[in-house]
Amino acid sequence: MKLWLKIVCVILLFYSALFAFWHPMAPGGLSVSATEFHPGRNDFFLVGYSTHFLSEKDNLQVFVSNDSTTIFCADVVDVISDAKVMVSLFLPDTISSTRFGFFANTKADGTIIIDAPVGNSGFTVVPGFQPDECKYKVANEDATSFGFPFQPVIMESIRNLMWHVPMWFTMFALMIMSFYFSLRSLSIDADEQKVRFDLKASSSAVVGLLFCTLGLITGSIWARFTWGAWWTNDPQLNGSMVVFIVYIGYFILRDSTPDGDKRIRLAGIFNIFAFVLMVVLLMVMPRFTEGLHPGKSGNPAFSKYDLDSSLRTVFYPACAGFILLGYWIYDLYFRIKKIQLHEEEQI
Amino acid sequence: MSQVVALLRKEWMMEIRQKHALAGVIIYVLATVFVCYLSFQKIEDTKTWGALLWITGLFTAFNAMQKTFSQENQGTQMLLYTMTHPRNIILAKAIYNAIFVACLNLISLFFFVLFFGTDVLAGADFVQFMLGLFLGSTGLGLALTFIAGLAFKSGGGLGLVAILGFPVVMPLLITIVRHTTFALEGMSYSVNSLNLVVLLVLNILSFALAYILFPYLWRE
Repeated sequence: MKLWLKIVCVILLFYSALFAFWHPMAPGGLSVSATEFHPGRNDFFLVGYSTHFLSEKDNLQVFVSNDSTTIFCADVVDVISDAKVMVSLFLPDTISSTRFGFFANTKADGTIIIDAPVGNSGFTVVPGFQPDECKYKVANEDATSFGFPFQPVIMESIRNLMWHVPMWFTMFALMIMSFYFSLRSLSIDADEQKVRFDLKASSSAVVGLLFCTLGLITGSIWARFTWGAWWTNDPQLNGSMVVFIVYIGYFILRDSTPDGDKRIRLAGIFNIFAFVLMVVLLMVMPRFTEGLHPGKSGNPAFSKYDLDSSLRTVFYPACAGFILLGYWIYDLYFRIKKIQLHEEEQI
Repeated sequence: MSQVVALLRKEWMMEIRQKHALAGVIIYVLATVFVCYLSFQKIEDTKTWGALLWITGLFTAFNAMQKTFSQENQGTQMLLYTMTHPRNIILAKAIYNAIFVACLNLISLFFFVLFFGTDVLAGADFVQFMLGLFLGSTGLGLALTFIAGLAFKSGGGLGLVAILGFPVVMPLLITIVRHTTFALEGMSYSVNSLNLVVLLVLNILSFALAYILFPYLWRE
């Protein structure tokens, strides 16, 4: 591997690691302490995340939507901290829906939304009912500060995007390499070339499997945080487990076949099988199956709505960096294996 | 084409000359279904029924693949190698095994009905169910024939067929279990036909891969 590529790799990884951890989160809404609303005055706490309630005390506005057509303005009673505010809300006897949504707006944070289920009692629900118009003025729609988007369940763990997803991209890149080398090892006749390509194919598959394992581990941790279990029934998860087993099978097949031409052929053939299977399991099957990964039933990845520009500026360099790192490890591993092979031949 | 027909005939001849092997596989099916019966007695859940049917189908297929290559000794293989193109051999073997596994799964279905009754099948869309049964069986047969060849050539023994074959048939198995469950629940074609299409695509894919790669496997 060329020296400048190594330098680029290190810079990209350093940059992405730095920003993945240090980049602030965009302001977002965390929770509302209200459990049940009734006609008249309702007091509750509103909790935000990385918001600036205290410093924006003067132009902080809180409103509660009802059925998305009606908006009730709430009085800010007390700003307790940058993230916590006590709110008092007056509700009429008649409302148009039993669903409530919470909004807080400041100049610095823009509008943050909290979608919390709140019960109700004592109301007359009339669909389409329009109470007195509430006067409000939104100071600023979007946050002025620049940060990773805050999403309710994912929260800070969005940073894992910079580790988890590049692992799979790197695995794909390495498996494509492995697939290509296997094709070459089958199509070429010269013995020396064949051994070389076979060694390249198995080396890149080893490193690919390493990244597959890392992807499974980072994914598992993320799943525990967002979906509540280390392993969930998701086509992507089950598919990657099968891919993991298939490539283990590839190494078992290589080891159980006696040395020489036959091993190269059998391993090459199975590697092609494994690659096609990987494409089917990780690219095709998730599109037909319900799953938990974002953008499911259609596109097994983050859609353009999930991946905003602040994430992109870190995510793409991270992907490039990890792919280069994968290639680097593969390069070293291949050279070690080549030297070992030479030594064996000399003995 | 006539060579393929001749090879198919040869497979069939070998099958009926080794009746003990055929009987062995059928007894295996019977025993598996019987164990299912002993442990469940009564199955009302379509999901369990479908899953058990296909677990039986999977292991039956593994069992049926045992002899597909190993029954031929070195001499027979040399003869075949000199007489015909390897693609004819894989074509004949794949077709034969696909039909063979389909027949075995029909037998397994018969035993399931015998032991568990027709309660689960009562609400089923039978045409869809049979289509799924056929495509699932052929898919297992096609994919595992090639894997059996691979394992046989490597000399790794029967354990290797399971190690290599299990993940390879995984997508097929996931789809077919889902399809069977849907068919048993009597879901309409509009819901379930996508699964059939996926099954068909997996069938074609595994056969095409075997067809392309077998010559590399076959040459010594």
